[in-house]
Amino acid sequence: MTDLNDMDVFPTTKPSGPAAAAIVAAGIGSLVLGLMVSLAEFSAGAKSFLDFAKNYGLGSGVGPLSGKVIVAVLAYLVSWAILYFMWRGKEISVSKAFLATIVLVGLGFALTFPPIFTLLAP
Amino acid sequence: MQLSDRELWAVIHGLILGTGFLLAFAGGLVGLWSLRAKYLTAEGVRERLPRLGLWTGLMATIAWLTVFTGTWIVYPWYRDPAPTSARSILLADEHTAQWHEFGMEWKEHVAWLAPMLATAVAFVILYYGVQLIRHNEWRRPLLILFTLAFAAAGVAGLMGAFITKAAPVL
Repeated sequence: MTDLNDMDVFPTTKPSGPAAAAIVAAGIGSLVLGLMVSLAEFSAGAKSFLDFAKNYGLGSGVGPLSGKVIVAVLAYLVSWAILYFMWRGKEISVSKAFLATIVLVGLGFALTFPPIFTLLAP
Repeated sequence: MQLSDRELWAVIHGLILGTGFLLAFAGGLVGLWSLRAKYLTAEGVRERLPRLGLWTGLMATIAWLTVFTGTWIVYPWYRDPAPTSARSILLADEHTAQWHEFGMEWKEHVAWLAPMLATAVAFVILYYGVQLIRHNEWRRPLLILFTLAFAAAGVAGLMGAFITKAAPVL
């Protein structure tokens, strides 16, 4: 039985950057989703633009939800790719990355909560 | 005894994928919770980490499948402008309108946070592999983000169950 107190077992060789990029990107995707939900509530023009189902044929009958989620997922994937390449060989503070993620996700949660985003309706 | 296409998709979306999501969350949560070097041997880590990656990867995959089927298959039936659609039925009665105005409006959006968060957690676990046992600084963030993914899906699932009870997609 190999003792885990021996630090030669499973030595750490991977920087935290790529992992930090993954969680911060999830936070960015969450915030962008919240912003899209609020934007659609605030502006009829934005709501119409976000109807990707009708404007671009991405689904039938989905309405503005199609644009909100497509924009959010694109923001998630693009930000993940950018952060990954920026941080891939670097040590990024896990606590700071996590704090940023929690703030972003918290804002995303809040902005998808109807009593909050309906406040923005004109 | 038969199901219409719509009922079948509602079952796939809410019941089959939902059950898989719950199982994968339970497996991942137990694995993350007990991921402490003082509890494990090297053999235990080699045995556990791949399974933890499997559970969390499965939860992320199921979360994506659930939001895609929900948004692009079931939701258009729900919001059909016809007076017989679930949305029209809910909005026609002031006693049930809140199921749409609060319940569905929250559910359709918050659900999309779950796959992004679950994917991030699965990625970190798969990225580090067995080395994760040396990175205790990740254990709590992963537990919290994994639980937030579950909470987002839980809100959506709960609202979906109540809404389906009030006005099923038929």
